[in-house]
Amino acid sequence: MKKMIALAIGAALLLSGCGGDSATSAAEAKYGSSTLKLYNWGEYMGENLISNFEDEFGVKVIVEYFDSNEMMYTKLQAGDAYDVIVPSDYMIERLMKENMLQKLDLSLIPNISNLAEGLKNLPYDADNSYCVPYFWGNVGIVYNHNNVDPAEVERLGYNLLQDTTYKGRIYVYDSERDSFMMALKALGYSMNTENESEIEEAYNWLLQMNDTMEPAYVTDEVIDGMINANKDIAVVYSGDATTILDENEDMSFFLPTEGTNLWSDSMVIPANAENPLLAHEFINYVLTHDASYDNSETVGYPSSNQEVLDEMSAADGIYGENEAYLPRTDYAKDEVFEDNPVLKQKLAELWIKVKASH
Amino acid sequence: MVKQFRNMAMPYIVWMVAIIVLPMLLIVLYAFTDKGNDVTTIRFSLENFARFFSDTVFMSVLKRSLYIAILTTVICILLGYPIAYAIASRSERSKLFWILLITLPTWINMLVRTYAWMGILQDEGVVNHLLGFLGIPPITMIHTTFAVVLGMVYNFIPFMILQIYTALTKMDKSFLEAASDLGANAVQSFLRITLPLSIPGVISGITLVFLPAVSSFFIPKLLGGGQYVLIGNVIETEFLTSGDWNFGSAISLAMAVIIMVSMYITKKVDTDPGANGRRE
Repeated sequence: MKKMIALAIGAALLLSGCGGDSATSAAEAKYGSSTLKLYNWGEYMGENLISNFEDEFGVKVIVEYFDSNEMMYTKLQAGDAYDVIVPSDYMIERLMKENMLQKLDLSLIPNISNLAEGLKNLPYDADNSYCVPYFWGNVGIVYNHNNVDPAEVERLGYNLLQDTTYKGRIYVYDSERDSFMMALKALGYSMNTENESEIEEAYNWLLQMNDTMEPAYVTDEVIDGMINANKDIAVVYSGDATTILDENEDMSFFLPTEGTNLWSDSMVIPANAENPLLAHEFINYVLTHDASYDNSETVGYPSSNQEVLDEMSAADGIYGENEAYLPRTDYAKDEVFEDNPVLKQKLAELWIKVKASH
Repeated sequence: MVKQFRNMAMPYIVWMVAIIVLPMLLIVLYAFTDKGNDVTTIRFSLENFARFFSDTVFMSVLKRSLYIAILTTVICILLGYPIAYAIASRSERSKLFWILLITLPTWINMLVRTYAWMGILQDEGVVNHLLGFLGIPPITMIHTTFAVVLGMVYNFIPFMILQIYTALTKMDKSFLEAASDLGANAVQSFLRITLPLSIPGVISGITLVFLPAVSSFFIPKLLGGGQYVLIGNVIETEFLTSGDWNFGSAISLAMAVIIMVSMYITKKVDTDPGANGRRE
């Protein structure tokens, strides 16, 4: 028995010894630790992003995934420590207000000069003192141009989702933010409105859609659903539209003239991060040409790196023919979501009521 | 001696208070207060309950949830009883094998198994592919009541089978011998002896199936789609998306009371001598 224990201890020592090779100890000397804890969206990274970063800097990356900003926020509030997180615009605004983020040291992120033009001067953090964009895009309509006339799509915009000709043939994104954005824009209001009667009107617009159109409320299933042409119309994130158009040439993309959401997901370092130096290194790494290219190629979302964006959307680039890839910027009716907890709570409840009323 | 043992139970009692009793009290506290309270001021209010019970949409969600849960429970009894009966009447070794088969799927995470059903029931899924081979046009199954109830019955039926099976195997076989000595035929001895003696198993089976079925939120979400809203989904939204823990707690508490009352009634029916024939 004693022999067995000795053997086990020996094996454990041997195993722990294996971790301490020269690259790791170099990283430890430089950053204070050799482990980076990353908290990102699922299916949101290039195939080799993590392994290349690990090899290049001799570190280990632990990745965890979330599927909503709210889930991420709940975990962060519970005290879980991460070094880098990639939340969306309005959530970053909220984290900033609540002092849950560290100020970035931009001298450690020289690649910030690669940032895409459309992502400079973000309304919630104009000088990138807290966040560096990761992916961005719009929300628009993907439709099957064999079954839906493009002229109709352009004429109706979001009101296409109220035209009973297409009953039972639509996907709607299952989130209160995106559905109310669509309804408010269709009615010609701001998607950040706090006006009670405008919200009420949007609620009725969604109820009308729910009661007459038999919509299917989906999240990521919309990608496969549209690739398989299960339905004819879907309101989706432009990055998902890029993938759909890539896989099925019957699909087209349209950004409604009533305006849409210009969103961005950015990398931030939480206040309780244990390894901020390595976190800066990772943020800088994501902005390199190769890492950005890998990300955008795998995921299909628009890159935050201007050079990659130009390269991919050029005529001979991999998304050169894809009308969904390049985000629309400088369009007056497009807006960025603002953080408003009271409004958000109200919309969340109205949205579940819309879905439940049938 | 006894005292010593009592002391040994202390860690467990502390543990249970911390893990079970305190969270329950917190839910009650949240349910009866309104938002924006901090540690120093607490305002009690019945506002959350009024909001829930006066809302026609929430009430129809509640009705739908109860309907789905009752339907699931009834199907579990109708399918589970014959299965449990068949297993209980086999030889000792064969029994163990069949019980193993029944419990085997529960070794795999429930969420994973539900995802598997998504793949099976999808428009482009396994079932429709098979139908395609036979020249039958595809049927839409995913995102229907059928899919939700199927998912629930599949996930919860092992609890029903195991409870009934245990009741049946614990039954004293000499009752059946006595019955046949006295001239009862198979049907008579089943109806008058086996069935009444297995009712306690059915009752605990109902508890174990109805409870998770009425509060399940991921089965309707995955198999029913975003448009299939049950009360569990409303609670999930209140906690995770809107962050209104007070209202979410109030709904949870209301559900807990509704469930406790229905369980009490079920138990009452069970122990009521008039309800199942010849019990004293």
